[in-house]
Amino acid sequence: METRIRLLLLSIAVAACSGCASMHWPWHHPKSDAASASASTDDVDATPPSVIEPQVERRKIKVPKIRAKNVELGAYYGELSIQDFGAQPVAGLRFDYHISEDLFAEVTYGRAKGGRTSFEELSGRVQLLSDAERRFTYYNLSLGYNFLPGEVFVGRNLAMTSALYMIGGIGNVTFAGSHNFAVNFGAGFRVLPTDWLALHIDVQDLVFKSNDIGVYQLKNNLQATIGATVFF
Amino acid sequence: MLALWAVSLVSTPARAARDLLQLFVSQPYLELHTGPGRGYPVTQVVARGESVDVLFRRTDWFKVRTERGVEGWASARELTKTNLADGAPFQVKLGDRAGFASHRWESGVFAGAYAGATLIAAYSALSITDNLKLEVGLSQFIGNVSDGYIADIGLAHVVMPEWRFSPLVDIGTGYLRVEPKATLAKPLDRSDPVGYVGVGGRMYLTRRFFMRGEYRKYVVFTKTNANEVNGEWRLGFAFFY
Repeated sequence: METRIRLLLLSIAVAACSGCASMHWPWHHPKSDAASASASTDDVDATPPSVIEPQVERRKIKVPKIRAKNVELGAYYGELSIQDFGAQPVAGLRFDYHISEDLFAEVTYGRAKGGRTSFEELSGRVQLLSDAERRFTYYNLSLGYNFLPGEVFVGRNLAMTSALYMIGGIGNVTFAGSHNFAVNFGAGFRVLPTDWLALHIDVQDLVFKSNDIGVYQLKNNLQATIGATVFF
Repeated sequence: MLALWAVSLVSTPARAARDLLQLFVSQPYLELHTGPGRGYPVTQVVARGESVDVLFRRTDWFKVRTERGVEGWASARELTKTNLADGAPFQVKLGDRAGFASHRWESGVFAGAYAGATLIAAYSALSITDNLKLEVGLSQFIGNVSDGYIADIGLAHVVMPEWRFSPLVDIGTGYLRVEPKATLAKPLDRSDPVGYVGVGGRMYLTRRFFMRGEYRKYVVFTKTNANEVNGEWRLGFAFFY
């Protein structure tokens, strides 16, 4: 009984509401009339409908800066064969800037100390150079080319990007108390165990012309080094 | 205190993740390579509508992380076809002719001759406008009689930066240090201020590279009555970034 009364009341309410909607109340917005009128004329004239301007503010997105990691900074250590003065330990610093996937620029600074020549060894007390003059320092400004990029696989689960590169440049060698314009060229291998660390093996020849013994002579100084660099 | 530290540890990765640029793939798919180079194999693709977080950039390659946490390398050219979160296309500067005409930094290395001595020089320049550049240079010269160094700072005016070959003029000042060779009767080392004017040209080669050549006239303001005037020419390679 009770449910029947409820249903009855509900149906009366719905009927009353729908009636309200169809009625024209004095506070009813007149714009809808205008809109419906214009819509009907639009149909007749076939002019395009007016564009609806959204009232939503465009969300401003702050674009985070992407970090560029093109710079390598590190050190190397190895053996430098100073012509006539024996093979000696060499240590240096290197700075690399990767310009493209193929090319990079490199600045290196290294130092070693020349040993005794065979003449000095045989003659006993003769010293061709003073201790300070035996210091061999150099810098190179080079351009490198990654001519064999690839990957190195260690076991089943580890792959590291790598590259064989050729490198050449110009620079200065200070040895035997004089500065010498030098040309360097060589090849190296770079492997990256992580995105920020690189290990290097390098072989280079530092060539310069010198007149230490009174005649101009081309000096070849071969260098083999291992090194590590960090990407910034 | 320990709890605070623990909370900061936990919240750090979340904060880091928010700071990464998120890009939405708008082409059918985005290819991810195993390394930053065109030859590295493609092992992942990201479908249209999915997003990637950009971790960092190396040359023209970007290390990205997908929504599923897979990391790989996408080329700059491919990423220019993606959108930012607001729907705007992602834009990135590539090493091309447009970059040659308009860039912020450039650096280069020269070989040449200063007053007959062999010259090695390096420079970096900051673009104030596309035409006007603030340059800083370091050079070393190695001669038969003396060696030395020059450090200089100056302004260079590139006449037509958008041309493949453009003339340039520059003017600047610096410091010169001369070290006479030990084999001669040893005069004192000399340090003097210098001024220079130069004229030269630059030519675009490829990607980010260009050649630059120049002739400079240096005036050395010596401590003696007469100033010294030396000529220098230099030719080298430079790149912009």
